[in-house]
Amino acid sequence: MHTDPLLSIQNLKTYFQVRGDVLKAVDDVSLTIRQGETLGLVGESGCGKSVTAATIMGLIPMPPGFIAGGAIRFEGQDLLKTAESRMRRIRGSKISMIFQEPMTSLNPVFTVGEQVAEVVRLHENLPEKEIQERVIESFRLVKIPAPTARIREYPHQMSGGMRQRVMIAMALACHPRLMIADEPTTALDVTIQAQILELMNSLKRETGASILFITHDLGVIAEMAQTVAVMYTGKVMEEADVKTLFATPRHPYTIGLMRSIPIVGRGKQQRKLSTIPGSVPSLFNLPQGCLFHERCPEKWQACEQEPPPMIELGQGHRVRCYKYA
Amino acid sequence: MTDRAATKTSTWTRITDPEDRHPFFDQVEKLFQNKTGVAGLIIITVFTLAAILAPLISPHDPVENALYDQLKPPVWQSGGSAKNLLGTDDLGRDMLSRLIYGARISLTLGVVSVGIALVFGSFLGAIAGYKKGWLDNVIMRFMDIVLAFPHILLAIVIVAYLGPGLRNAMMAIGIINIPRFARIVRASVMDEYEKDYVTAARAAGARDLRIIFSAIFPNCMAPIIVQASLGFGAAILDAAGLSFLGLGAQPPTPEWGAMIAEGRAMILRAWWVMTFPGIAILLAVLGFNLLGDGLRDALDPRLRD
Repeated sequence: MHTDPLLSIQNLKTYFQVRGDVLKAVDDVSLTIRQGETLGLVGESGCGKSVTAATIMGLIPMPPGFIAGGAIRFEGQDLLKTAESRMRRIRGSKISMIFQEPMTSLNPVFTVGEQVAEVVRLHENLPEKEIQERVIESFRLVKIPAPTARIREYPHQMSGGMRQRVMIAMALACHPRLMIADEPTTALDVTIQAQILELMNSLKRETGASILFITHDLGVIAEMAQTVAVMYTGKVMEEADVKTLFATPRHPYTIGLMRSIPIVGRGKQQRKLSTIPGSVPSLFNLPQGCLFHERCPEKWQACEQEPPPMIELGQGHRVRCYKYA
Repeated sequence: MTDRAATKTSTWTRITDPEDRHPFFDQVEKLFQNKTGVAGLIIITVFTLAAILAPLISPHDPVENALYDQLKPPVWQSGGSAKNLLGTDDLGRDMLSRLIYGARISLTLGVVSVGIALVFGSFLGAIAGYKKGWLDNVIMRFMDIVLAFPHILLAIVIVAYLGPGLRNAMMAIGIINIPRFARIVRASVMDEYEKDYVTAARAAGARDLRIIFSAIFPNCMAPIIVQASLGFGAAILDAAGLSFLGLGAQPPTPEWGAMIAEGRAMILRAWWVMTFPGIAILLAVLGFNLLGDGLRDALDPRLRD
């Protein structure tokens, strides 16, 4: 499955100016999402995954944010150089976004149907009747039961799972090429979480849209993604297709993350859950050299001096670690 | 999962069914549980009805002179008669009729001046709260300057410039109340701005003005409604003050403040000429303030249980 890239991010640098300091939230990140593919972006809180998403959408508040370099190519144009008026037409129609908190992402004073209709109205010049049909169609697509009645409900009348379905319906309403899902299931119960993930997978198959799936949950990534990028303090540490990454993780950070997943099992071989020692360094005070060296169990001398380059291991497996140089 | 949405039938069930109804009705119910709020609502309803039905219920023409009936006391005092229940003023005009027509003027004036303040104040406040930065600074510092003037003094300045008269008084009162609305709207827009649905609206490709006025603004209605209600009372009071000073309603208009000014000279001989309009102002302002407080209790999410 090697089709053309739909979105390619090259050496993106999104920085923030905070009290005289420059905070490198996203530093030299390159990612590629192909047609119909899901790219999983994993990392701990504050690693820059949401900022990456916001940069793609052009939603970084400037100031304090600024783009220090890089390019985001989408359908032949560089989104970073696209005028705001054009970006507005792309947002919500060609690239849409699903948020983490279905409880607060819907406007409490409008019916859910009205909110989905609003998105369609913004992007397509259709008669009101067709807009309503489109809304009902997208509610059907996300498997909301009794859509004709449900569109008249207010967000507070719906459960979290239903609201997230509405958010997905909203994201789908204009047939996007790319959906950015920023931790779409983190706020949901596990059972609902599984339903939503399955829904997103089947929608991806039906619509052929690509997904940028952001999460901190490696288990969810295994369900969803074809390619995975692991981020740490604003940099991509390792990138590979999902099978390779789970079978042969290379970066000590990725290995550490995998070990921190609790395994439910019986028998004596059950090991104690391991953790990564230390904590994520503050973006205000990043270490010299490799950003992970302070917590790394396998660090070398070089790690403390120069940041390692991205090293190609073949078949799209890339890792930012001296071990493989 | 059973689908209760499908079983929903009439508007009435949407109002009465506590599971399904719109939060608006919860707030109405909450307002009705508030005794002082209801008292305010009753007072205002009475005044409103009086204003609407003025030609039907007032016993006399409010501006018709009756020189034989000058300064008749109210009916319960010796010398009073059932013809003029609340007595007459120095030109023999029926006090009760003048008060009833005065309700018309005061309510119109409240609607117009609060309307002016609300429209301009909300617009400026919403822009300031959403855009932040220098625009916010320019707008709000200007509002601070307006607020720095004593209320009535600024109104006098504006009326002196525009010329005396009821219409200009309404405009002046509207203008001096703009900063109150601007401040409240700015604060609640700033609150709402942080919420995810605003980011979601931006991510959906909406432009700024649309986000402010069609997504955020409806969520700021609660404090605006409260302020409008309180502002109504304040506007009536300010207008009465301007009219008392001769800058608002001109004779023979039966405006309450103007009536107090006319009755001032004969307070010792005929107390009723000045007292009844005073009571009318008191009750109207009290009514709006009670309702405003009741609405605040019903609408403020922090006071919700």
